[in-house]
Amino acid sequence: MDPALRAAATGMMAQQTRTEVIAHNLANVNTPGFKRSRAHFEDLLYQTVQGQQVLGENDTQITPAIQVGRGTRLAGVQRLHEQGPIEETGRNLDIAIEGEGFFQIQLPSGETAYTRDGSLQISDQGVLVTSSGYALQPPVRIPDDASEFTVSATGVVSVRRGNDIQPTEIGRLELARFANPSGLLSLGQNLLAPTAASGQPVIGFPNDSGMGRLQQNSLEGSNVEIVQEMVEMIAAMRAYEINSKAIKTADEMGQIANNIAR
Amino acid sequence: MPGPVQNNGLSSAASALQMLERKQQVLANNLANASTRGFKAETTFARMMGNQLAKADTAVDLTPGTLTETHNSLDLALEGDGFFVVDTPAGERFVRNGNFRLDANRRLTDDQGNPVLGENGAISLPQGTVEVDATGLITVNGKPQQRLRVERVASGTDLEHEGGTRFIPDASRQVIPPTERTVKQGFLEESNVNPMSAMTEMLTVLHRYGAAQQTLSTIDAVRGIAVTDLAKPA
Repeated sequence: MDPALRAAATGMMAQQTRTEVIAHNLANVNTPGFKRSRAHFEDLLYQTVQGQQVLGENDTQITPAIQVGRGTRLAGVQRLHEQGPIEETGRNLDIAIEGEGFFQIQLPSGETAYTRDGSLQISDQGVLVTSSGYALQPPVRIPDDASEFTVSATGVVSVRRGNDIQPTEIGRLELARFANPSGLLSLGQNLLAPTAASGQPVIGFPNDSGMGRLQQNSLEGSNVEIVQEMVEMIAAMRAYEINSKAIKTADEMGQIANNIAR
Repeated sequence: MPGPVQNNGLSSAASALQMLERKQQVLANNLANASTRGFKAETTFARMMGNQLAKADTAVDLTPGTLTETHNSLDLALEGDGFFVVDTPAGERFVRNGNFRLDANRRLTDDQGNPVLGENGAISLPQGTVEVDATGLITVNGKPQQRLRVERVASGTDLEHEGGTRFIPDASRQVIPPTERTVKQGFLEESNVNPMSAMTEMLTVLHRYGAAQQTLSTIDAVRGIAVTDLAKPA
């Protein structure tokens, strides 16, 4: 009876993990640039309890092998990099990426991390930083006498200095792109780090050779869809329930077996 | 062929108990995989052996699962029969789970990193918008790349399961002509486990198990009488 109990227990654990992933998605329904994840499962190795058998001699019959599975396991949690909705915020330091690409930021450790969250700020040094305070790469310094900060679709940052009438170009934003963005490692704080699975970053200007374009005064919303997550959650709950019934049945069968010898 | 074995009520009842236990194990595995994409349920049926003992046999139920729209361009599903072919270290394997992705070298792989095979081997895709038509032809930014290999086995074949929703192809495998396939992009095939029928089957197993146990106990009681009462001196 044990294998049935264990198989059902792996089913319950899988549904638990699925619910955790859904809860994380739902918690981030308002996080700018957030990408939803989904859990993937696979069946465990099968035990061949009896190999192929040949019955009889003349009118030979072959019975196929009998295989019994041993449950399920988490195969992976995949982040889905679909475009989130572009939401107009009216704040001139909010920049959304429409299409592929990530902003590059420098971590205090000196390493580079990547984000889609373009809610930028100006630090006390006058440098463009993310909402968590990490400096954008390559760094863009805003002069003290600047006004009318604008970012073009191709990433050109310009301001009007002092009493000038013509805007001055003070820098250009760059984006990085990965062959397999789902392979990036989540660091929290909307930050992602490259891994062997994601491939090396390809750096380029926005709106150029497949890179997304920038949109000022907007933010990319989370790509979590509440209705979809709710449906998933109901399905997960029911599957959890039904696996608990399998455990109960296996347990009752064990009790019956124990009653054979009185 | 050995001659018919004298049927022994006790061993008949015991084989029924064993058969039902195996059935319950298979049902538990199916239910555990109720949300494993591309999973195919195992069905069990009792087989009467030459010696009149019951035995649980298993077979893969290849009924298609429902397709769920995911809007992800690398999620592929097959409508009707057929399998995608992936290249694993142990050889080529069949999968129905089309949750594909690109690896660091932009090669199309399954969720375990095994390359998905096209007509000309592994598939590497350039940067751009990936589109897959019903025949499995992959185009990137309108430029045709490779056509996916989609194969089937003779109907009624009992495929051997490997973990990870993979199947081991058998000798009857053949390529499905492109015109007879329906590859759907942006969809994934759900598990084909039907929780409702699995539940009812599980209840049946439970009740039969109780009945077999009663039979066993009754035969035992009859033997007990035979041994203790018949042998008593008059």
